[in-house]
Amino acid sequence: MILDPLPLVLTIQISLCSTVLVVLLGTPLAWALARKRFWAKHLVDALVMQPMVIPPTVLGYYLLVLLGRDTLLGRFLENSLGLELVFTWRGGVIAAAVASLPLYVKPARSAIEGVDLAFEDVARLLGRSEWSVVRTVTLPLAWRGLVAGAVMAFARAMGDFGTTLMVMGSIGREKTVSIAIYEAWSSNDLARANILVAIVTVFSIAVLWSVSRLTGGKI
Amino acid sequence: MPDESVQIEIRKLLNSELQLDVSLQLMPDCSILFGRSGSGKTTTLRCIAGMARPDAGHVRLNGDILYDSASGTWLPMRQRRIGMIFQDDLLFPHLTARKNISFGMHQWPKRKQKDRLDEMVDLFTLGPLLDRRPANLSGGEKQRVGLARAIAPRPRLLLCDEPISAIDQEGRATLVAHLRRVQQAERIPVLFVTHSTNEAMALGDHVFVLDRGRIVAQGTPLDVFSEPHNLSLARLTRVKNIFTAIVESHSPAEGVTVVRISDGPTFRVPLHDAPIGGSLTFGLRADDILLARHAVSGISAQNILEGRVAKIVRHGAEIEVLIDCGTRFVASIVPAAIDSLGLQAGSSVCMIVKARSCHLLERESRGSQAQ
Repeated sequence: MILDPLPLVLTIQISLCSTVLVVLLGTPLAWALARKRFWAKHLVDALVMQPMVIPPTVLGYYLLVLLGRDTLLGRFLENSLGLELVFTWRGGVIAAAVASLPLYVKPARSAIEGVDLAFEDVARLLGRSEWSVVRTVTLPLAWRGLVAGAVMAFARAMGDFGTTLMVMGSIGREKTVSIAIYEAWSSNDLARANILVAIVTVFSIAVLWSVSRLTGGKI
Repeated sequence: MPDESVQIEIRKLLNSELQLDVSLQLMPDCSILFGRSGSGKTTTLRCIAGMARPDAGHVRLNGDILYDSASGTWLPMRQRRIGMIFQDDLLFPHLTARKNISFGMHQWPKRKQKDRLDEMVDLFTLGPLLDRRPANLSGGEKQRVGLARAIAPRPRLLLCDEPISAIDQEGRATLVAHLRRVQQAERIPVLFVTHSTNEAMALGDHVFVLDRGRIVAQGTPLDVFSEPHNLSLARLTRVKNIFTAIVESHSPAEGVTVVRISDGPTFRVPLHDAPIGGSLTFGLRADDILLARHAVSGISAQNILEGRVAKIVRHGAEIEVLIDCGTRFVASIVPAAIDSLGLQAGSSVCMIVKARSCHLLERESRGSQAQ
């Protein structure tokens, strides 16, 4: 049996892109939730955390409706930016990012909250702007939480099934490992399913082990 | 000539019972803000630095307005150019000593940064510490790096929030010496918060005594601490013997007033104009009481009282002897004196006190100033 490497490559590609997206969007979000007071704070917090509780298929359905060709956003993305998301690997990135965002924001927020406000005040007294304070004091002191969150988000993106299946579908060889496992099992190709399951299991354990080592088990 | 003064007036409600209401004028020397914990010292510094916002008042620094409630002026911390050192050193744990010190000079040209860093290294003897992170520095070293970090960007005012209390004896002496050097080298006003009379005496050119949110006394350390003029100041500066006594007679020729401590001995204190039968409060430092085994004669001291040692309390190298002469007195002596006098609880002892060591205390209303 020859194992098609494409689902593995595609999964890693999607997970990496999604993690970059999550860190770029999630860091300001985590900082705002940790340090700022604004009227919609609890609502934003509840929305960011939704993927942890609602069924992945429901989340996928929302994304499909939001990004599809029938909506303003979907048409804008496709016509103006040439960005076709639904049923492409890029859609998989969006799906994985939304699904894994809370896994980054939660530890990143508590790590930022754990940075003593006095350090930030010292930096301000030494002439630093707010942006400089975040860049040179807050984030470097919160780095363990940020890295741990990013690794968890990466692992979640790798393992996503429901949301990705709804948004990206499964066309030909272009599918993620999770979807490939499901399909192998449905077509009774157990040898193939076993190998993929073993790879995913070893990888997931390695990821969590490295997070635990990095943070001393604190996150 | 540039205006080099610092004018501070701050009012802020600290809690439901305590209102901070201070007014300070600082010169380019070292001013001490002295008071016990909870008196509002740290809040005062935080308001000056811009970490906390007063309810009303103003802060003016060399002619610049940092805060003014009347005009609504509020300069953000980064524009105040104020240096500050803290009780917990608050060095950035992720940066080396070198990067900590350079942190406030980020907008300076590289060359100028390096020169200033070298200056700081010389001033605070930091050479071997530069590449270490705070976790690998001792308490005293951390405070020196903290001081260098605060001073490096050439602040216009240095605030010190009890920086000495957390470090060991040796480190304390070094830091005091370094603060003195900063004063001489930089010529900037320093406002130093402490509850220790020793630090205040060692560093201060001027002392403000803060009690329950108000300045109750100010002056040179010697004036304020050696002759506390009022009751709350005497308590703050740890005058251990405070008595209320009834005036028995005046002797203008001798320059003394004779008073009787209620149910206790009579005392000769400096001449006062209180009416006979009226009451006086006076304070006597534990350090100003002389002890002898036997009554002595032919000395200038006006008060020689016989009593018994009630208790001996040791605080390291300092010993407090409680003496019962009808009323209790506390005398502070060194261990050698205990040995040479052979003192123990129950020993009879003679207590010798100069009239001039008895400081008459005004029973002041709160907030009055003794200058």
